[in-house]
Amino acid sequence: MELSLDRLSKHYGSKIAVDQVSAVLGPGVYGLLGANGAGKTTLMRMLCGILEPTAGEVLFDGKSIAEMGAGYRNVLGYLPQDFGYYPGDSAEEFLMYLSALKGIPRHIAKGRVKELLEVVDLSACASKKLKTFSGGMKQRIGIAQALLNKPEVMILDEPTAGLDPRERVRFRNLISDYGENKIVILSTHIVSDIEAIADEVLLMKKGSFVQKGTVSELIDKARGKVWELTVPSSQAHSWQKKATVANLRHEGEDVVLRIISDHKPDEGAIRAEASLEDLYLYYFPAEKGV
Amino acid sequence: MELFWLEHKRLWKRKSTQISVLLCLIYVVVFGSILSYQWFTFGSSTGYNSFRNRFDGYASIRACQQYAGQFGGVLTDEALQEMVRDYQSITDRDDMDEMNKTDRYKVPSWVSQLYPELNHPQDYRLEISYVEPEKLTGFYERRQKILEDFLAISDQTGEEREYLLKMNEKVEQPFRYQWTEGWNVILGSNLPELGMVMTLFLTISLAPVFAGEWHDRTGPLLLTTKNGWKEAARAKICSGLALAVEIFGLILVGGVGSQLFFLGTEGWDMPIQMIKLIAVAPMNMLQAEIFGYVFVFLGVIGYAGLVMLLSSCAKSTFAALLLGLSAVYLPLAVSEYLPFWAQKALDLLPLVGSPADIFRTNTFCIFGKYVWSPYLLIIVPVLLGLGCVPFAVRRWARRMRR
Ligand SMILES: Nc1ncnc2c1ncn2[C@@H]1O[C@H](COP(=O)(O)OP(=O)(O)O)[C@@H](O)[C@H]1O
Ligand SMILES: [Mg+2]
Repeated sequence: MELSLDRLSKHYGSKIAVDQVSAVLGPGVYGLLGANGAGKTTLMRMLCGILEPTAGEVLFDGKSIAEMGAGYRNVLGYLPQDFGYYPGDSAEEFLMYLSALKGIPRHIAKGRVKELLEVVDLSACASKKLKTFSGGMKQRIGIAQALLNKPEVMILDEPTAGLDPRERVRFRNLISDYGENKIVILSTHIVSDIEAIADEVLLMKKGSFVQKGTVSELIDKARGKVWELTVPSSQAHSWQKKATVANLRHEGEDVVLRIISDHKPDEGAIRAEASLEDLYLYYFPAEKGV
Repeated sequence: MELFWLEHKRLWKRKSTQISVLLCLIYVVVFGSILSYQWFTFGSSTGYNSFRNRFDGYASIRACQQYAGQFGGVLTDEALQEMVRDYQSITDRDDMDEMNKTDRYKVPSWVSQLYPELNHPQDYRLEISYVEPEKLTGFYERRQKILEDFLAISDQTGEEREYLLKMNEKVEQPFRYQWTEGWNVILGSNLPELGMVMTLFLTISLAPVFAGEWHDRTGPLLLTTKNGWKEAARAKICSGLALAVEIFGLILVGGVGSQLFFLGTEGWDMPIQMIKLIAVAPMNMLQAEIFGYVFVFLGVIGYAGLVMLLSSCAKSTFAALLLGLSAVYLPLAVSEYLPFWAQKALDLLPLVGSPADIFRTNTFCIFGKYVWSPYLLIIVPVLLGLGCVPFAVRRWARRMRR
């Protein structure tokens, strides 16, 4: 089982949202990490076959997904970033409706819906109307619907948005189990989610992959670029202006700054242990504190 | 099939649908039929307005039917004279209760239409109450004459006139007479108004099929499922049509049921000329009623197709509602300011035309051939409406892909 992206591009007028992206993805959990506007959603929509690439193509087991059509959709599960729902439907009705659209026979769908409502911890609200749901509950329903047809390829756009920490943990466990022998691609701009779930990270910036690799491989790449510097409190502000400061910790009168930089920022700086977040900040320096 | 049931359930579950169907039933069945029969149309008159009528329609109707039965059967000059004589003796006695039993609209109208030379313009009373009965002769020749005069006045000459007169030749003469007022109310007012009333409630029920802001954002979900949006669209269309048919069915059962209860079947084989003398169609009351319901049914189907198209174009349900209502009420409102041919063209829109055209001599001229208007009015709206369906689907698909 293999999903390959062959020089995939999407242009909106003169704006290049995705720029010649190539990759071969086998079973596993892939974390698509990038700032807002990096092109994650655009890429995922092309992977689902609902957005036509300007150039390039997506192949599933060597066959073009555009040609596979319903055959590909049958093995696909998709959680859109911002999806519409039928406000008057109950959670159960909504899932039954999508089961029918996914061609799952009613008697199988019934059990499946029940099981998934259990999985996303919404059994108690099965017959409540969706319009009364909170953002996190809706998101969990969205995750459940993506799982209905036991997809081989699962594409989740910002799946943890709106989830509280407990729900996040639940979701991570669910995906780690599921991703054992399936292709799961999830996007996020939240580094800690990726660190916890992803087997492989695709770091996306301005429409291209700037880094690919496992979490530890990527952390290796950040190694040597993270520094700790102790300065008086009064200087903290000017450092934040002139360097990428990942963290700032008060120690008595002084402040310990965590600085991301290719070069030693100051005589007094010492090397520090790197994390994925440091790498993210290295690539997206303007987005401090994400 | 599964999808269809889910969509269908979704439509019926909406509060707006439930309320509109309920109001529709109340309006058409309770007010338009039951209360109308029992009270304000057929309740015996007390001489004031119809809301002062007695609540005795059921008995009154039987009294009327019995009274008309005395003169029932073949309508000859003698039978008409007999009716007029009896009418005059009742007016002489000034007996309100007896007056209530007479066929009080149609029979007087025949006298005044057919025998205009016997009218005394100075006399404020109806012609029937003072005309000498034995002068009322030549009913059928006179009917033929007023028909021909009418065609002349309305500038229907040559081939069109031939066509209509030929149709008229098939009308069986002499006519059979029974009490007419019951059929007159059903065919002359209830059925023609039914489509207009249903418009409102159908629009409320069908506007949300494709419209609503949230609809646009279901696109990504629907588009990535195996069966995809096509199945969803088919289910939506079918459930919309099914809902329209069901609403119609409820009204049909309610309307016909109360009609059978209050009016019975008496007079079903009278010709429709008993409602309008110069009608040219060889039809009896039963045929006309069937025509009327089929007309409304096909109009409803056509209109459902149209509303679903508007629903797929509109951003919000409310906008779809307004568009749907204006598709019917706007043509009706502006129609009188338009030239005659434009009025006739508008009549071809679903639920804009009227089943009462069977009483009229309107025609459409298609490639030089004249066609009696009801033939087109019954068939064109449903074709137009169903023709909208593929566009509705395409339009919706395009919206979802954005
Ligand atoms: N339909 C569109 N028309 C024009 N530009 C678009 C459209 N969709 C996305 N973009 C642009 O493409 C870029 C990538 O967007 P997106 O894929 O949504 O990023 P992400 O999901 O990573 O936040 C953004 O700059 C966005 O403004
Ligand atoms: Mg996005």
